[in-house]
Amino acid sequence: MTHWPRLSALGWVLAALLAATPARAAAASTTPTPATAWTTVAASSSIEFTGTLAGGEFTGKFQRFVAAIAFDPANLAGSRFRVEIETGSADTADADRDVALAGDEFFEVSRWPKATYEASQFAAAGPGQYQARGKLTIRGIARDVPVTFTFKSNADGSGAILSGRASVHRLDFGVGQGEWQDTKWLGDEVRIRFELALRR
Amino acid sequence: MQWRNTTNNYGALAKFLHWTIVILIIAQYVIIEAAEELPDGVEKLSQVSLHKSVGMLVLLLAIARIGWKLANRGNPVPIPMPGWQKKAAAAGHGLLYLLILLQPLSGWAMSSAANYPVTLFGWFQFPALVAPNHDLHEGLEELHEVLFTIMAIVALVHAAAAIYHHFWMKDDTLRRMLPFGRKPAA
Repeated sequence: MTHWPRLSALGWVLAALLAATPARAAAASTTPTPATAWTTVAASSSIEFTGTLAGGEFTGKFQRFVAAIAFDPANLAGSRFRVEIETGSADTADADRDVALAGDEFFEVSRWPKATYEASQFAAAGPGQYQARGKLTIRGIARDVPVTFTFKSNADGSGAILSGRASVHRLDFGVGQGEWQDTKWLGDEVRIRFELALRR
Repeated sequence: MQWRNTTNNYGALAKFLHWTIVILIIAQYVIIEAAEELPDGVEKLSQVSLHKSVGMLVLLLAIARIGWKLANRGNPVPIPMPGWQKKAAAAGHGLLYLLILLQPLSGWAMSSAANYPVTLFGWFQFPALVAPNHDLHEGLEELHEVLFTIMAIVALVHAAAAIYHHFWMKDDTLRRMLPFGRKPAA
């Protein structure tokens, strides 16, 4: 059994500050150089999702999203993703289903108009392949979601195609309230596929 | 058990397929009418899914029925009847074979047009027949309903003809398609 020395409240605060100061200084000194910032060409970019309905798959897409991508394979430390998806733009080619998705039992667009994905940790995952470890936030609920992607730059480096996939569990984010928490007819797993056309 | 058709009786497989398809199509009507009463939700989704799976089962059985009919040429010897009745019966049968194929196919295409998956009880998924298209979906939905109405009318005339033969003409037309291996009267 360890016996900690008794310290006054002030002593604790001082100790905490002393402990934190060198760490903060170190962090500040190693702030990475930001990686190349890209412009996403919306017309040639897509974010698709595939869900399971009664044992069969269907695919939809988000019509509106903004992807702020700073990525350089040679500077993973300085790379950043920030993607904002308009949840109300989910399009499954069926008006009834789209209205249901925007409704309170699913995305609850009136309250949570946006889903976001933010990543600042990247690792190589094979030739031309990377993994982002970021946070996906839907309906105000944030969860760690790894994204595996490839990054293919064109010859002169003026453009690139960033495409990848992720898997999420809709119920982790409360997408499916009440009776829709039942996964027998509407599966929990939703696969995401995206392709972003980037230019400098 | 006689699997193949004989000169005076339909074989067990033809009978099985005929009556299974009859029962499933009646069930299909009941399932979808009940589903349409339900509000949007899990229950409705499960009912409609059941309707789609049973529909695909009907399609497979219809293909088996037509395939078996072609492979098993030699229907029972026709019962003597006026020429116009033979022609009407042949036309009615041809139309029924066509409808038990077209009805599930139109339903399948209708689901595809609305980007909904079609499976066989969730065991496996059939590919989409057409690309998602709202107007096509509406058109196919109408076609699915019209085909059902035509099928119901032709099937009722078909059943009425069989009953007429059985009770008025007192011949074996109905008896030779009855299940459970009942032998037609000599």
